[in-house]
Amino acid sequence: MRRSKTIVVLMALGMLTACQSNGKTTANSSPNSTAETTHKQGGTVTISNEQGQTWPCQFNPFNPAVNLESLGFVYEPLIYVNLLKNQAETPMLASSYQWSADKKSIVFTIRDGVKWSDGQAFSADDVAFTFNLMKQTPATDLYALWTGAGLQSVAANGNQVTMTFSDSAQPYFFNFANQIGIVPKHIFSTGDAAAHPDTWEDPNPVGTGPFKVDPCSPNNIQYTANPTYWQAGKPYIQKVEYPAYLDNGPANNDLAAGKAQWGSQFIPNIKAFYLNKSKDNNTWSPPVTNVNIFPNLDPSHPDTSKLAVRQAIASAIDRNQIALIGEGGQQPAANQTGVVTPTFNKYFDGAALSAAGYDKPNVDKAKQLMSGAGYSASNPLKLTIITITGYTDWDASLALIKQELQPIGIDLTISDLAQQTYDDRLYNGDFDLAYYGEPGGPTPYYELRQILYSKNSAPIGQQASFNYERYKNPDVDKLFEQYATADDATQVDIIKKVEAAMLKDIPIIPTTESVDWFQYNTSDIQGWPTKDDPYCQPAAFNAPDAEQVLLHIWSKSAQ
Amino acid sequence: MRYLLRRLGFFVVTLWAALTLNFFIPRMMPGNPVQALRDRTHNKLSPAALQEMLTSYGYKPNQNWFVAYLDYLGNMFTGRWGVSIGGSSLGEPVTKIIGQALPWTLGLVGLATVIGFVLGTLAGIVAGWRRGSRLDAILPSVMVVTSALPYFLVGLLLILFFSIWINGFLPSDFNYDPSIPPGFSTAFIGDVLSHGLLPALTIVITSVGGWVLTMRNNMITTLAEDYVRMGRAKGLTNRRIMFNYAARNAFLPNLSGFAMSVGFVISGAILVEYVFNYQGVGYLLYNSVQNTDYPLMQVLFMLFTVAVLVSVLLCDFATAWLDPRARAKG
Repeated sequence: MRRSKTIVVLMALGMLTACQSNGKTTANSSPNSTAETTHKQGGTVTISNEQGQTWPCQFNPFNPAVNLESLGFVYEPLIYVNLLKNQAETPMLASSYQWSADKKSIVFTIRDGVKWSDGQAFSADDVAFTFNLMKQTPATDLYALWTGAGLQSVAANGNQVTMTFSDSAQPYFFNFANQIGIVPKHIFSTGDAAAHPDTWEDPNPVGTGPFKVDPCSPNNIQYTANPTYWQAGKPYIQKVEYPAYLDNGPANNDLAAGKAQWGSQFIPNIKAFYLNKSKDNNTWSPPVTNVNIFPNLDPSHPDTSKLAVRQAIASAIDRNQIALIGEGGQQPAANQTGVVTPTFNKYFDGAALSAAGYDKPNVDKAKQLMSGAGYSASNPLKLTIITITGYTDWDASLALIKQELQPIGIDLTISDLAQQTYDDRLYNGDFDLAYYGEPGGPTPYYELRQILYSKNSAPIGQQASFNYERYKNPDVDKLFEQYATADDATQVDIIKKVEAAMLKDIPIIPTTESVDWFQYNTSDIQGWPTKDDPYCQPAAFNAPDAEQVLLHIWSKSAQ
Repeated sequence: MRYLLRRLGFFVVTLWAALTLNFFIPRMMPGNPVQALRDRTHNKLSPAALQEMLTSYGYKPNQNWFVAYLDYLGNMFTGRWGVSIGGSSLGEPVTKIIGQALPWTLGLVGLATVIGFVLGTLAGIVAGWRRGSRLDAILPSVMVVTSALPYFLVGLLLILFFSIWINGFLPSDFNYDPSIPPGFSTAFIGDVLSHGLLPALTIVITSVGGWVLTMRNNMITTLAEDYVRMGRAKGLTNRRIMFNYAARNAFLPNLSGFAMSVGFVISGAILVEYVFNYQGVGYLLYNSVQNTDYPLMQVLFMLFTVAVLVSVLLCDFATAWLDPRARAKG
């Protein structure tokens, strides 16, 4: 029942692109721009997010295995970028920023009056130190800013920090402004932390964020409010309990019993198990990426590299049924354009989808295509699809897909593989069909580029980074290369052209949309992100989004 | 003396063979630590960055296997066990991780094994003594069933009965309630006991049957011996005959069986710890294999091997001491 694949954390990759083309946010705007009533402080929230392991009580923000427990809680980014609201920005440690005209340099104005939780003053020096540390110790440069993004220098001057790049750097804004937690120079420049900033344990993290770790044990992290937090009166919630759940079962039991209020994993049969238990139990799981059938497009796989076969599969499958039965209605159906709706509706080309005939299943067309290729229900094409053992919902979806493909003349064998065996075969291109979802990013560009950009591919037998189906189309490559420097409207246009290629070439076949699992209990805690007010990605494993939740929620009983 | 030396030699050779297998088998499994971390971080970070990260924790992806093997053997004996390179414990010293988990497993699985053994042996003595009674008719047949039940099934049923149906009467997960500060307070100790009850019960239920059956059968064989009849003829009390004459001798095979099972305590009942979210070494092993965490995995395997071998060795020594025939043959 472990569902790690659904924990799609959209921290996005170190090599991707632009969110917004307007280069400036207004100076000194309040971090929470919407007018908001204030609340009294008090109350406790308990997070139920299955980790599969006990807590190591390390909080080093440069350690990718543990930084989800410190980013947002303790360490803060410069600017928070909200994926669910067209990349809306909230200034955090930077009160504003200004791009140069060619987007090769950016100047952040650093917020005044911020203190580290040990009482020392925070300054622009700390920001410059954090980025320069990543240059000195490449293992801490998780997003490859210095090596991949062309970062040339970071310097502080007064309350300003200037970053210069060798090329247009707008594509990396999401990474360096939103994903990097700023660390204190006075801690990271002395002792063990300075000697090994990448492996230092950081057991008592000192940050600028709304919470402090107090205390941590292998079973539970308790966060208590930082009394000197720079947003006066916040956080409202004074304590966060984060127990280590080793398995979904106990994590879900605690949610159903109301012992935990903030859920972040899949609950099977959620209606009976969770929603019906209390009128205060709610769920809202926004879709963020696609789950797809990856056909092997390499000529060494003659069947799946044949366009007619892929078109037939894309026409035959009933995505709504897969979402409803395979995923128990907890994930929405995807569509052949590869754009996740409704999250990224702005980019979605519905007209093109209908014009291409993929807006609803068409079994007759699929049968025709297959008979053109020489196959029928009595003389079926035998194909094998690989998937990961233990992803029971994927198994259910695939069983349904197998049923739907049988009448058009495809005999599908489902091959459940252990995670790492599966990885080997997926990365090296050793499959006919594979069932998989990419990590995605803050706009559809990220996911589509991962899947379709030819530089993310590799010859069969070598590991591809994302383009596992081995799609190569110079026109599509060119579109991706233009995207970085394009303005907002042109970017939407470019994505629509990529969607056209998805409809024409069927490089992959999206089936359902992965969601950010989120359940919340409102009996005491109020102010959760909702469908109507998606102020951030709601699951607790989203960094640094969790901070936004923690800054909004408040306790009824404390008022 | 020759017997003891031979047993010691056997111990050393077996230990070396097991350590060698422990080194090579995990490395021949599909996947590697970088790939496991890539899965764990959901493919968001580049494999090159992850490899760099793991290298700074001491992972050497391109090291010659033979050199790595010699390093490994040396490190196992000198206790330089390194840091974990997988999962959320990335970067934590292996000794610390195991130090946190081991007491829980020794407490839970160790105690439950002893309780199961004592209960089973006593019940076996009584059942064998009252051969043909109603107790003897029911007990062995029930025990045949319970000893064949798998751990996880019993665990899940107990959770269903005591935790879900009786609405959280007994906790079904964790080793203690994190909201109670650990310490020598009655609240904390009571909490630890209540958290250990269901998993301990699972182990007792599944293990007690084996002890009952062997003890009962040994008793019946022993009761037919002449010295038991002799005791009766002398007019000794039943109690004395039962425990001092019959059970004492019938107990020997059970004792060596127990020595073996103590060796397995350290590996924890992996399934029990998994079902009950109980954070002992069995659970650690499961996780380290999932994460291809070589340093943690190989130390755990070594501890399990050593525990089994040492208890077998002790059992050999005990047999030599108790049974002159073993010494003579050696």
